[in-house]
Amino acid sequence: MSSSTTATPPSRLSLFWHKWRFHINVLLLLIPLGFMPKYFSEAALFRGDAGLGEREVGEVQVGPWSLRLAEFRDEAPRLNGPVGHMKHFNAALCQSCISQVKATYLRIGKPRSLRAAGVIFFGSPYRMGALLPVPQKTRPDAELWITLEGWDGSMHQASIPLSQASPATVAWLKSQGNRP
Amino acid sequence: MTLRTYLNGLALLLCAGASSNALAHNPMCECKAIDAEQIQCTGGFSDGSGAPGVTLDVIGYDETILVPGKLGADSTLTFKKPNAEFYVLFDAGPGHVVEIDQADIEAP
Repeated sequence: MSSSTTATPPSRLSLFWHKWRFHINVLLLLIPLGFMPKYFSEAALFRGDAGLGEREVGEVQVGPWSLRLAEFRDEAPRLNGPVGHMKHFNAALCQSCISQVKATYLRIGKPRSLRAAGVIFFGSPYRMGALLPVPQKTRPDAELWITLEGWDGSMHQASIPLSQASPATVAWLKSQGNRP
Repeated sequence: MTLRTYLNGLALLLCAGASSNALAHNPMCECKAIDAEQIQCTGGFSDGSGAPGVTLDVIGYDETILVPGKLGADSTLTFKKPNAEFYVLFDAGPGHVVEIDQADIEAP
C-alpha cells in the first residue's frame, strides 16, 4: 500500500495572520495607553488629589461651624435604578468643628425636623460624601439646606440656592419641564 | 471555543464595571390610597430587600405623630387617613429617611 499526502495551500487569512501577528499584538498592547489620561484623572478624583470634587461650591457657614461643599461630578443627577435621580456631593468640615459636629445632612427644601433632615454625609470629616435624591419635579429655584447636628445636641442650618450648589442640576431640571 | 472564552471574559468585565452603582442601597417608600379611608405604604431598599419592622410614622404638619407605626412582615403598613394635614416618614435610621407628603399620595 502506498500513501500519498497532498499539502493543502494555506488560506489567505492564515498567511495574513502569520505575517502580521506580531505587529497586531503590539498594537493591542498600545490600546490601553490611550485610556491612561482618563484613568489617572479619575484616580486623582477618587483619591482626593484633585480636590473635593470636580466643582467646588465653596465654604458654607452653618451657625458657628462651616463646611466646604463640592459637586463630586460637574454633571446632572444620575439615574440610580428604582430610587430615581441622585446627585453626589462631597463635603469637608472646618478643622475646628470636626470634634464638635456629630452629623451632617443635606436636603432640597427646608427640613421639617431633625428626623427628616435629609440624607446623611458619611465618611471621614475631611472628605464626606452624600447621595442626594433629586426628584424631577424639583423647582429650579429650590434651595439646598445643610443641617449640622452637634454632639452637644445643638442643631444649625444654612441654605444655598441649588443654582449655586449645582448649575448642572438646575439646567437638567429646566430640561425636565417640571414633570410630576 | 476561544471566541467563547473571550466573550465570557468580556461579559465578566462589563458586569464588574456596571456593578459599582448597585453597591449602595437607598431607602424607598411608596404610598397609595387603597380606598377613601385607608392608605397603604410599602417600604424597602433599592437593592431589592424589604423593610419589615422599620419605623414608618404618619406626622402632622404641626410635627405631632398621628400614627406611630412599624412595617409588617410584608414591608407594608395600612393606616386610616388622618383628618389633619400630614406626611409619611419612612425612617430607617438617621439620614436614611423618605418623606412622602399627603399631596403626593395617589388616590385610589
